[in-house]
Amino acid sequence: MKLDGTNTLAAPIETVWTTLNDPEALRRCTPGLQELKEVGPDTYQATLTIGIAAVKGTYSGTLRITDKQPPRHYRIALEGSGGAGFMKGEGSVDLEPQGNGTLLRWSGDVQVGGLIAGVGQRMLGGVGKMLIGQFFKCLEQRLGSGT
Amino acid sequence: MKPAAFEYFAPRTVEQAVDLLAQHGDQAKVLAGGQSLVPLMNMRLARPAVIVDINRVDGLEYIVAAPAVLRIGALTRQRAAERSRLVAERCPLLRDALRLVGHVQIRNRGTVAGSIAHADPAAELTAVLTALDGEVVARGPGGTRVIAASDLFVTYLTTSLDPREIITEVRFPALPPGTGWSWMEIARRHGDFALAGVGVVLALGGGVITEARIALTGVGPTPVRATSAERLLTGRAPSEGLWADAAEAVRAAVDPDGDIHASAEYRRHVAGVLVQRALCEALTRVREAA
Amino acid sequence: MGTRYVGARIARNEDPALLRGRGLFVDDVRLPGMVHAAVLRSPHARARIHGVDTRRARAVPGVLAVYTHADLGRLGAPLPKLIPHPSLIHHKTQCPLASDAVRYVGEPVALVVAESRYLAEDACDLIEVAYEPLPAVASVEEAVRPGSPLVHEDIGTNVCARYTQQTGDVDDAFARAPHRFRERFVVDRGAACPMETRGVVAPWDARTGLLEVWDSTQAPIPIRNGLAAMFGLLQHNVRVVAPDVGGGFGAKIMMFYPEEVLVPWAAMRLGRPVKWIEDRRESMVAMNQEREQIHDAEIAADGDGRILGVRTVFLYDSGAYIPYGLIVPIVASTTLPGPYRVPSYRCEFAAVFTNKTTVSPYRGAGRPHGVFVMERLLDRVARELGLDRAEVRRRNLIQPDQFPYDVGLIYQDNAPLRYDSGNYPLCLERALDLIDYAAWPARKQAARSEGRYVGCGVACYVEGTGIGPYEGCRITVEPSGKVVVATGVGTQGQGHMTSLAQIAADALGVTPRDVSVHTGDTALFNWGTGTFASRAATVAGNAVALAAQAVRERARRVAATLLEAPVEEIELAGGKASVRGVPARAVSLGELAVAANPLRFAMPADWDGPGLEAVRYFTPPQGAFSNGVHACIVEVDPETGMLSFHRYVVVHDCGRVINPTILEGQIHGGVAQGLGGAFWEKLAYDEQAQPLSTTFMDYLLPTAAEVPALEVAHVETPSPLNPLGIKGAGEAGVIPVAAAVAQAIEDALEPFGAHIAEAPLSPSRLRQLIAEGRRTP
Ligand SMILES: Cc1cc2nc3c(=O)[nH]c(=O)nc-3n(C[C@H](O)[C@H](O)[C@H](O)COP(=O)(O)OP(=O)(O)OC[C@H]3O[C@@H](n4cnc5c(N)ncnc54)[C@H](O)[C@@H]3O)c2cc1C
Repeated sequence: MKLDGTNTLAAPIETVWTTLNDPEALRRCTPGLQELKEVGPDTYQATLTIGIAAVKGTYSGTLRITDKQPPRHYRIALEGSGGAGFMKGEGSVDLEPQGNGTLLRWSGDVQVGGLIAGVGQRMLGGVGKMLIGQFFKCLEQRLGSGT
Repeated sequence: MKPAAFEYFAPRTVEQAVDLLAQHGDQAKVLAGGQSLVPLMNMRLARPAVIVDINRVDGLEYIVAAPAVLRIGALTRQRAAERSRLVAERCPLLRDALRLVGHVQIRNRGTVAGSIAHADPAAELTAVLTALDGEVVARGPGGTRVIAASDLFVTYLTTSLDPREIITEVRFPALPPGTGWSWMEIARRHGDFALAGVGVVLALGGGVITEARIALTGVGPTPVRATSAERLLTGRAPSEGLWADAAEAVRAAVDPDGDIHASAEYRRHVAGVLVQRALCEALTRVREAA
Repeated sequence: MGTRYVGARIARNEDPALLRGRGLFVDDVRLPGMVHAAVLRSPHARARIHGVDTRRARAVPGVLAVYTHADLGRLGAPLPKLIPHPSLIHHKTQCPLASDAVRYVGEPVALVVAESRYLAEDACDLIEVAYEPLPAVASVEEAVRPGSPLVHEDIGTNVCARYTQQTGDVDDAFARAPHRFRERFVVDRGAACPMETRGVVAPWDARTGLLEVWDSTQAPIPIRNGLAAMFGLLQHNVRVVAPDVGGGFGAKIMMFYPEEVLVPWAAMRLGRPVKWIEDRRESMVAMNQEREQIHDAEIAADGDGRILGVRTVFLYDSGAYIPYGLIVPIVASTTLPGPYRVPSYRCEFAAVFTNKTTVSPYRGAGRPHGVFVMERLLDRVARELGLDRAEVRRRNLIQPDQFPYDVGLIYQDNAPLRYDSGNYPLCLERALDLIDYAAWPARKQAARSEGRYVGCGVACYVEGTGIGPYEGCRITVEPSGKVVVATGVGTQGQGHMTSLAQIAADALGVTPRDVSVHTGDTALFNWGTGTFASRAATVAGNAVALAAQAVRERARRVAATLLEAPVEEIELAGGKASVRGVPARAVSLGELAVAANPLRFAMPADWDGPGLEAVRYFTPPQGAFSNGVHACIVEVDPETGMLSFHRYVVVHDCGRVINPTILEGQIHGGVAQGLGGAFWEKLAYDEQAQPLSTTFMDYLLPTAAEVPALEVAHVETPSPLNPLGIKGAGEAGVIPVAAAVAQAIEDALEPFGAHIAEAPLSPSRLRQLIAEGRRTP
């Protein structure tokens, strides 16, 4: 499942970069995050309760940040599993100054498997996109929207 | 496909139901017709700890016509509404949409309110409520409030209802005499959730469109009101060309998801096709009524 | 022997019980002390297993046992290999529970037995499996790409077999042909989806040493034989019953599915009857699937549209294992030439492992693929040469005087593919008449002028049926006068209780209501293979005819003694034996049954044993070949890609018809499944082989609202290969549907230039094909 999007943030690229690497910001903006533990450099153990309405599941897994090129680019890899299935994803975040603000482009390839993929395909793509969107929306709010 | 264990309550009154919800918060789920909730539970996608079955609550099964609105009680089955003379007379758009909700067996149990509360992104009734600017009446620990359709649907399967609230009534504004309407949808099979669906209401005066309402389902996380197309239509004389322009406006306004049944482009395309055809049918009805 | 009932349109013996909800399906079997099993299945298409921790699951109150591969001992070995083939180099089968690797989503990893199914499922949730997910192979094309992940690492390849058959000098024919057309055809995955899923209930009685297994299977006797061997029991002490079975369509003949071994085994370990009923979600991943093939096919023709040669190279997706061997691709490649004279032909396939559910025959079993390829190639010939589609077919049909017709290939039963009889031109002309083909061009034009897009499709096929090795039957007349027919074939809705009764009734002069047919219980008949390959009516039916004939002769001899008349003058009718011309000198069949089993006194030697009973077997030398033509008229809405079926005509020849109602039922069901495969039913998988359509919300079986009214006509060309002159009909309905529908849609969309080379289609896909056609009307 390939997903992508762009967001415009009001803050300069360096601020955005710092925020994106701040565990506290991750904690606040990741939808359904229950727990985030730094277990190594740029490596986190996370527990999330995500889903929509009654269809919620708790997933635990790891999140890794790689290929860091401050302040413009990093890659993110996550892997998690829970009762309703598992997911595995890889994506990249690219920043680019835009006027006084920053243009953020994200793209990712997420695989979802197990129960949730087998019976929920109709809404899976949309919900995935929505959750990632919520994350960046939250960053936007923290940093001020560029538009 | 057996549900995980849950605690079961069958209150007799709305007050008891709301008390139970207040007590258990988002651990609890209201059970109405069970046509959406039970499959989710059987697949263990939903694991509510508490079920508040409202089927034994008295006084929630009614269809009443107030002057400009149809009031439908929360336990009114979809099939009852579909076959109701009042619905046929006052809100034929609702009746036509109901005919395409699942199958007769589903509609025999599924409730009108349950479909609204469930907020499936491809449901018919959410779009009808949106097209007509309907409302729901919700009762919670804090009392009763009325929520407009435009404030109700948040995203996939999510409404602005508090987990401690229940819908007691759904209100569908009646269509004034002489109004045209049409419900059209594309589904893979009869009874399937729509790949795209549209409800249209059209009124004419002095040869021009005085009111156009268009709401779509299946083309986004919530029902979509095609306001740009509505504006484009209002005040203009109906024509094939105008319908085509409205279709284009709708295509530009929607952002559907693709899935294994149809691509996003397909959904966008047929959303336009349906709007065009539905406007055409609605116009025929206006003329028939005249 | 009279034929009062064979050929008659009588109501089914089994329906009064089934329609009143008084059937007995496996899930209706409820035994004292019975416990319930649930299977934990892999959520990964490909993963290594580093360990399975069952402690938390075992601690759930009410859980009796949690088994993993480590508990199985000898039984943990790979399940039996059915139907080996010299070309099948890597005949991989799965273990009842996965040991160190899983190879498809749905592969069993653990079995939980608990006091209720609810508890068993709760416990499944608590089993912790340490998976190491690995990249999966999601398609046949990916599987054969160099560097693809391997489904079975030990064999170093995903190709488990390559097999070529050829007749005539194909390459020479192509080299010299004036016209050659190449196409790539894709047929995607589908599922049989019987209304009743699989299920097993097994009670074990340690004192009598008797294992009973209620199994929703199409092949109870082979299951009995296999279980006895696996558990070291006498076959005599294992009873397998396939009671009422709610559809099988091939997918219930596996020998063995893991659960068929695990459930009896658990019952023996626990000393409690164990029930396992497959739920629909399991069924969509754990019941065998079919249909995925990709053909690169080519046809050579002369200027008149006569076929000079056909060749195809295809990939056959076997899924993660290949228990059933090469039956499906062999059937596909041998069905392809169909009713046509194909002077030279080569088919070459590679059977390929992917990380998807195992494939075994599903109604049609490769035939729809072969027919799709051939019919689409003929459509191409017609289009390119500017010929009428029906005329191209007409010119190539095998003629009635050419039977027996040797196709020059080896069929699935390892015998030469030789058509026994048929009248192909007659079937085609009847179908064309029924659909009013002569008036079609004018009607098509008329529709176009109204801005509607309507198309007509006509497709022909030959269906191999009634293969050996044998089936048998025991017929007993009871003292009540009732006739008991016991055979080894199971029944899954085909109406055997009626059609077999009709055959026996005619021979014995009784009515079908007097005949009680018993199938699928190993305690009642000891020998048999099963109900598959459209064979039960032909093979078991003729065994019934032979046994009934033998009982009839004995009844006449007994009656001759009792009535003191010559045997030649004894007639059986109305449940009585009487002396010809003297109806008053009569004795009932029941009385004869009593007399034939005396308590004292010597028995006349020519009675040849006690009772009115006989056992007979029928062993056909080869299969019998049915054939038919489907024709349909379909309207396409080019703006939405939605279809509406205006008409659907089937002309069908399966030799002598036993019961037209039953036959038509078989055809209706088959066409419905065929329509599913043409437009609705698609098992979607993502690129990591995760199944995406595991509910009936996403796997779209056509319903009564989608399937049009069918018009069915019969042609009867008897088979010379069996006494009744019958041929099988089980798969006929499904075979040419995708081909006929594709042709009709392409015809309708001709102004857009849409080209169809795949099944199933969808509205969304049709819109794409219209766009790719790059033509505007
Ligand atoms: C095979 C099948 C096909 C279907 N096809 C369609 C279709 O084409 N179109 C379509 O729109 N729907 C379809 N449905 C869904 C059907 O319409 C459901 O009946 C409806 O969505 C839910 O109504 P219900 O009364 O059954 O609610 P339930 O399943 O009991 O509940 C659904 C949700 O709403 C909540 N809820 C219910 N009532 C209330 C209330 N009064 N107050 C607060 N919360 C409440 C529940 O807590 C739950 O979360 C289909 C269902 C099936 C099984």
